[in-house]
Amino acid sequence: MVSASKGFLGIVLLSWVVYGCVDLKHVSEFSETSIEAISSYELLPNTFEQVCIQDCEQKHIRDYNVYKTACDCALNKKADSITGLMYTASLEYLTGLLEISNSDLTRYQTDNLTSTLSTGDFGPLQLKEEDVKAYSKVSKLILKVFTDGYRRKKLKEYITEGYEPLQVILHFLKRNINANLSGKLNVQKSSIQAFYFDFVRDKSLSDYERTKFAEDYFNRISEIEMNQKELQLFSEVIDDIAQGHKDLYSNLENLQDEKIKGKLARLRYRLKHAIALFSS
Amino acid sequence: MAKLTSEQLKILADNMLRMANALGDYRYENIDQLSKAENDTIKALHEQTLNSVTELYTKSTVLSIDDVQENLERITIITAKTQKLYKSFTTVQNVIDRATSVLKIAAAVISLDTEKITESIKNLLT
Repeated sequence: MVSASKGFLGIVLLSWVVYGCVDLKHVSEFSETSIEAISSYELLPNTFEQVCIQDCEQKHIRDYNVYKTACDCALNKKADSITGLMYTASLEYLTGLLEISNSDLTRYQTDNLTSTLSTGDFGPLQLKEEDVKAYSKVSKLILKVFTDGYRRKKLKEYITEGYEPLQVILHFLKRNINANLSGKLNVQKSSIQAFYFDFVRDKSLSDYERTKFAEDYFNRISEIEMNQKELQLFSEVIDDIAQGHKDLYSNLENLQDEKIKGKLARLRYRLKHAIALFSS
Repeated sequence: MAKLTSEQLKILADNMLRMANALGDYRYENIDQLSKAENDTIKALHEQTLNSVTELYTKSTVLSIDDVQENLERITIITAKTQKLYKSFTTVQNVIDRATSVLKIAAAVISLDTEKITESIKNLLT
């Protein structure tokens, strides 16, 4: 009788060790910090449409025109929609990762992603097929993952299946912000320089007027460069999230190792630093 | 018809911006030698090129099109050549002609017409 009880207790303990002692806190903490960090997208100082409107207004200023000043920024609005879709898809995926790795599983909502996919303003423009597949894959993953109770098993599947599409989405999200949007700001700086150059050199103006023009120029360039730093910071956030997810993917069979815990902790530290900078 | 990829459009935009900035630098550095008409012409070309470049960055974000690797490599070479050329030009007319050719490429890229892109690049190379 005693040995039977001991045997039963042994089985219970073994089950607890195998299934219960799944410490995924480091994964859920990394996911949580990643969600907070990527949400800084909503705090970015510029959008494509906004830069388009600024450029358009600058053109009217250059032409001394305040009549019929409407700006056609429809294409830039689409660029914002597409970039926003990439952000939302990444955010949704990370939220799913948090939910799976968090022991307090709660019901997951995918309304936001579904809504973005169905209502986004993408006009006649086509996303590349591989990217569309990436969004669809992430979306399907989110939907199916909660039907299974084996958290760790599902976590591995989620990370494995999400690895490639997430990397693709993060790559394009980063490129759109740090290369294309920031590129538009580089153009804006060149345009502003061309605008002020002649005024600053114009000897028919007073010294005061010329120095005021120079001052205005430096203020505007400084403001744009501060904004570009934020875009750069956001792209570093994307890099860290992509790296963290890559580390998870590469260590699926040893998620409990101190090495992977250390890697994620270092990335979390960097992400938290970026979050603090965005909040300041 | 072969098409440009989003990535290639971004690289084209970067190259076009370098070319536009080289033209702007030429104007700033030679302002005392330029007549008012020459200055105005170069300034207008510079602005138009910058307008094209900002549109390319937007298109890179919203469009994805097939590869035109050959044109990309060629325009990279042209960019490097252009940056050097502005420093060695001796007449303003050369500068204006070159800048006009660059603007034509920008217009062709914006229209995503690969035949026009090839044609305008050929013109720039000859």
